[in-house]
Amino acid sequence: MAIFSKVYYFNMVMQGHQSNVVIIGAGASGSVAALRLAAAGFEVVCLEQGDWVGPADYMGAQPEAELAWIERWNPDPNARQGWADYPLTGDADVRPVMYNGVGGGLVQWAAMWQPLLASDFRVRTLDGVADDWPISWGDLADAYAQVAGDMSVSGLGGDPALPEMNPYPNPPIPIGKIGRVAAEGMDRLGWHWWPGANAIASRRHRGLQACQRRGTCMTGCPENAKATPSLTHWPSAQAAGARLVTGVRVTEIPVDERGRVRGTVYRDRDGVEHFQPAQVVMLAANAVGTARLLLLSVSSRFPGGLANSSGLVGRRLMQHPYRTVTVVCDEPLDSWQGPWGQNIYSLEFAETHPDRDFLRGAKWMVMPHGGPMFAVAEYQEAHRHEGFEAVWGANFHRAANEVFGHAFTWGIQAEDLPEHDNRVLLDPSECDSSGLPAARIEYRVSENTRRMLDFNVARAVEAAEASGAVSTMVRDIWPTGIGHVLGTTRMGDDPESSVVDRWCRAHDVPNLYVIDGGVFVTGGSANPTATIMANALRVTDHMIEARASQKVP
Amino acid sequence: MGGSAPTPAQRLALARLADVLVAEGPGIPSASAVGVAGDLLDRCLVAAPSFSEPLLALLDEVPTGGLDDFVRWLEVERPGDFAVLSTTVVAAYYLSEEVRELIGYPGQQPSPLSVAAEPDYLDLLERVYERHPGYRGYT
Repeated sequence: MAIFSKVYYFNMVMQGHQSNVVIIGAGASGSVAALRLAAAGFEVVCLEQGDWVGPADYMGAQPEAELAWIERWNPDPNARQGWADYPLTGDADVRPVMYNGVGGGLVQWAAMWQPLLASDFRVRTLDGVADDWPISWGDLADAYAQVAGDMSVSGLGGDPALPEMNPYPNPPIPIGKIGRVAAEGMDRLGWHWWPGANAIASRRHRGLQACQRRGTCMTGCPENAKATPSLTHWPSAQAAGARLVTGVRVTEIPVDERGRVRGTVYRDRDGVEHFQPAQVVMLAANAVGTARLLLLSVSSRFPGGLANSSGLVGRRLMQHPYRTVTVVCDEPLDSWQGPWGQNIYSLEFAETHPDRDFLRGAKWMVMPHGGPMFAVAEYQEAHRHEGFEAVWGANFHRAANEVFGHAFTWGIQAEDLPEHDNRVLLDPSECDSSGLPAARIEYRVSENTRRMLDFNVARAVEAAEASGAVSTMVRDIWPTGIGHVLGTTRMGDDPESSVVDRWCRAHDVPNLYVIDGGVFVTGGSANPTATIMANALRVTDHMIEARASQKVP
Repeated sequence: MGGSAPTPAQRLALARLADVLVAEGPGIPSASAVGVAGDLLDRCLVAAPSFSEPLLALLDEVPTGGLDDFVRWLEVERPGDFAVLSTTVVAAYYLSEEVRELIGYPGQQPSPLSVAAEPDYLDLLERVYERHPGYRGYT
């Protein structure tokens, strides 16, 4: 078929006779694309390996809420072991966590809404390390505003550490006692802080209810106050005609003789194989899942995996290594109360500084400290080295007396620069419930990142003291991550040093797009969801605009 | 609840072990005194059914004497089992309404917030704005 007639066919089918865009993954990026495409008249099928979940599944309104973390709502898929969870194997300093279901990681996220710094897009130019993005902050500005509206973000604009932005749709959630104490400490030191922006409705907004401060955000919000795509995107996307198929696992993305993708092969829970034809495939399965699927999709044309002529698919995995400083105060702070987003944040140490022995920086955020089980767990970790008697028996109650309700946490997430050998591979022996190779993670925390975290933890202890802390509890790098997986299919202008172009289309395959966090060139220190969603919107809008030139099978 | 329900002997064993971990303190009762081996245990096992099998197996091997040494040995030699035991005891203890009242914990209850009033931190924020050098790198 000639290109013209191909284009004609593409436009015809886009307008309604058969599905023509398949999206893999119904999380942060896939939901944005599905809604935009369906609203523009495209026929969209989204394949999601997990299920719908909602308030009836969450435990936050039950007295047993603190136990939710142990099993069903454990953020670690290796601990949760649901059907939709594929194993994560390998030797990694930090092992990713994720949720597989409608909404993806945004089912369990803390909803912290944090655009990247302007400098994050120009790391090579400004700091002589890693790479610049092929796009700038300004290229995402409009999309940041659009997705903040779609996600009912509550926050206060005007942070001088960020470029000017449109106001958030909802007023900021009150910073509470813990935010006030932390902010006063930062004020005494003359350091940056700002009220936290969160995708949690501070008042009833669109499909969300007002936050009730239960503080169980990360095991699913039972109040429907936290933005998650099952509330913010999928109802509208489905009303516009998008079809969402749950409980299916994509096994391969086959190509035709010209190297264009033909659709997707997937299996349902009974093991029955299906083929979904498509003119365009969009990968939105997160930086681990997308890399895994590309590596699974080998063919004579792509023996090293689909879209992998650069050899970079799966490489440059970034995760924001994370440490915490818990601040214990004399005064009661009621710090089991939520929301468990960010009360305040600081970008004081987020930029490179010539006097420091590392490049780039970290973002800090103040969070609640949870109920008594959390207090016991952290107290015991801090004091276990003193022996059994220090934390059990009659001394067991010290955690409740000294920490519970009197503590908050400074979370410190570091920008880990892309490293060639930090990567996702296919495991040679372990498989998921469909018999597909598990994702093997090889990941080392770099010396730059360790120095960065040591420096920031020391400053956070100073901030705690300035806030009047009676004690602090410092934790080392968390061995399981915080759900930020980035960089395994980076974007760029050069096909030899990137997997997708600036419009997130695979250099090697003209009708294959990657729209999740895998396309990040560097990770910044910001929580990535705002940027993932904004970029997905930017890319989808461009795809719609450029539909006439889209090459198809 | 996952698996079989605890037997009376298993509940008794748990109550004895639980007091090694959570003893009576000033003004606050021990674990067994608030009934961690009764309904509270059942509620924990409903919420975390994977604990049932390893916990009940462990309770079958609890010695009649030397409980303190047994628990300490468990912590060192069988940390996985110790984690199941200690997490269950702590969770059950803090499910007790009596204990929650004593420590001032109402649970993760709804507590509506108000955004009607002007934030009380604007003076602090003004100082942030004034002293910040501005962002870098925008194009």
